[in-house]
Amino acid sequence: MLTTTGFTAAQETNLDAGWGYLARYLYRDAGEAFAKVPASDWRLRDLGRAASLLNEPPVTKGSIGSAESMLREVIAQGPRDDTTLYAQYLLARIVHMHQDRPVAEVEAAYRAAIDLEPTSPAAQVAASHLALVLLYQRPDLSVAERLAVAAELELVAGNRQLPEVAVAYYRSLAEASLFYEIESEQVVTWLQQAHQVRSGDQLIQISLSLQIAEVSRALGRRDRALTYYREFLATAVPTDQRYYTAKLRMQGLEEAAR
Amino acid sequence: MKKGSFGKYLAVTILAVSFGYSGWRALLHSSKEAVGSGVEVIRFAHWQLEPGVREAFVEIADDYMKLHPNVRVEQLSIPGGVWKQWLRTQLVGGEPPDLIELANYNNTDEILARYFVPLTDYLEAPNPYNDDTPELKGLSWRKSFTAELVPDETVHYYSYNLLEYYGVPSALVTVRVFYNRDIIKAALGEDRVPETFDELLQMCEDLQAYGRRIDQPLLPLAGSIFNITKMTSGFFSGTTQKIAIDLDYGHDLTLTKFEGIIGFMRGRWSLDTPAVRASLETVSAIGKYMSPGWVQMNREDAMLQFLQGQAAMLSTGTWDSGGILQQAKFDVGAFKVPSISPDDPRFGKWALGPTSEANIFAALPFGMTRTSKHPERVIDFLRFLTSRRSNAKFSEISTWLPVIKTVPVPPVSEAFRPIADGFISGLIVQNYGSLSTSIFNQNVYLLSGEKANAENYIEHTREMYPKVLWPELSRMAKVFHETIRQKDSVMVGQYRLAKAAGLGRSKFDIVAAKQIEIEAQRLQALRTLEDYPLK
Repeated sequence: MLTTTGFTAAQETNLDAGWGYLARYLYRDAGEAFAKVPASDWRLRDLGRAASLLNEPPVTKGSIGSAESMLREVIAQGPRDDTTLYAQYLLARIVHMHQDRPVAEVEAAYRAAIDLEPTSPAAQVAASHLALVLLYQRPDLSVAERLAVAAELELVAGNRQLPEVAVAYYRSLAEASLFYEIESEQVVTWLQQAHQVRSGDQLIQISLSLQIAEVSRALGRRDRALTYYREFLATAVPTDQRYYTAKLRMQGLEEAAR
Repeated sequence: MKKGSFGKYLAVTILAVSFGYSGWRALLHSSKEAVGSGVEVIRFAHWQLEPGVREAFVEIADDYMKLHPNVRVEQLSIPGGVWKQWLRTQLVGGEPPDLIELANYNNTDEILARYFVPLTDYLEAPNPYNDDTPELKGLSWRKSFTAELVPDETVHYYSYNLLEYYGVPSALVTVRVFYNRDIIKAALGEDRVPETFDELLQMCEDLQAYGRRIDQPLLPLAGSIFNITKMTSGFFSGTTQKIAIDLDYGHDLTLTKFEGIIGFMRGRWSLDTPAVRASLETVSAIGKYMSPGWVQMNREDAMLQFLQGQAAMLSTGTWDSGGILQQAKFDVGAFKVPSISPDDPRFGKWALGPTSEANIFAALPFGMTRTSKHPERVIDFLRFLTSRRSNAKFSEISTWLPVIKTVPVPPVSEAFRPIADGFISGLIVQNYGSLSTSIFNQNVYLLSGEKANAENYIEHTREMYPKVLWPELSRMAKVFHETIRQKDSVMVGQYRLAKAAGLGRSKFDIVAAKQIEIEAQRLQALRTLEDYPLK
């Protein structure tokens, strides 16, 4: 009994150390810690080893391939648990960002990660990345179609369980539209949704107020623009270089209203 | 002796002497430690050799040692030229100083994570050394700083990837024009500074005429690429603010370098765009007063020209102020580089007003190394160093701007105070990546001297910009790709660590959101490169 307890503690220590190293960008140290995790917990160990291999220098096609094989084993040999869900998501990331495979394969990989458990955090992050693929990597679609298919992922990508990811998803829809030089009420709606979820990052939150004000101004929605200019001015951080420019533009609108 | 053998012997000798010196230093260091057993030694290192800084640190360290007799504080000033190698050796060697000056171009995320202690939790607690200041008492250490250390990707004290504070800064710096009061009085009949761009041009004209009158070679402005581009950056920015708003497709009143390049590739602007042309004309208007060959001069040459009275003005960072004040044998004044007024008939059409300096972030941050033998003592010293009283002393002696709330700006540094009520930056042609900076630096001679002419510059470089801006966007996409890939590994660790306590608003949530944002930028870059190929 004592031996078993001691064994488990060491195992947890190595796993925790590995996660800690990964979180601090120390891939080699993480790989070494995971290598010490006994075989009895091989699925978590291999999730960690695969994650380490993705960035442990020298990164080669072979090391990425090994990471992929490990993740496929983790998924194939285990139940549909949290480890499987994350492994499936990481597999999609390998296909997209580390192997640069054709867009159809990338889409399929993200959809597999979403379909496994659409309410999971891993699915939410996968859906947000899939939205980007649809927004920028599908030139066969018209710009309106790109925006529409990306917006269809809202139920998964806009989940409030990861509020910062939800904010990033709504912002990415709005900013893609602006990138394609389409200023519309839909853009304001997406920005307002992001604003409503609220980012914990003060700089993002105040920028959302300013973006809503500026897009509303471009659309001729003066009252709404003024509301959000005022909010920006009331919440801007002391180092914000945009303060007086926003004030000047707000005053311009106020004068035009008189 | 053969020539080759001599070289070999010389190299071996130098190596031996170097090792001998290092060994002696190490021995000295350990013997000092031994003599003072029971004494806590705090060593801090920086590369600020500008006169005044070291002296200010000495005084503050002395104050601390008086307060804590069992502590010895040692300062290490390392020349900037060898800083990187020195830093790497110290960190890898395992016995670095307790506190080291940080700069994000010197310290990668990996270095921060491996060798430095995150200071976020410390910064959220009050600084007890401010208890005697009612306005600061009870305020968190972070909030005692003038700009409250707002995190941003460009600052040196915070890691945007690791989401932690790693440094605690001591000063603010701005760029100003220093001038020789004696020469200005003699040339203009009074000691006055220009309020507008036209007044600056007139001042240069008067100084040149004065030089002819006294039959001595007198330059209105000391020149070197380092110094002059500090000034021209302001002219570019201040002449193009309205076009920056038009090009800011993200509608957040910030024209990023990324948006600027995409705008260029889409044909939204070029060197021929009237606002950009006007910005180049501001540079040629001031460039008329530069001496031939100034482009080849370095920072030290420009400083020497100014200190020897060969040039009436010098544009530089306020970090040089201590050195200038100590070494100049004449009265020195300083003024803000005049902005382009929206009313200026030649250059003001696309201007809003002075460019804001509100986003000038705190400098000279010290980070604490993981190997420190007494971290709590080191934190205590860092709190003392950045207390209201010590920061006032630092500012007074170094002439650098204070960074702590309620510390008065010394009268001598009044002109350095950042412009808080200015407007956004415009489009700065010289700052679109290192290759575009090279184009500017190599061709700025066309904008200087008696034949200075914006048209010549435009004709000569028109074809060069597309050839560097396309590759620059491609390079940026590659950098984004690397950052994104790294986060894939990092997020697995963050996911597992945060899972039990809840993932919402955790580091995993924040980094995942950041990754989405960067990935969107990378894909925008790739989309643009595909949709707008270089012709």
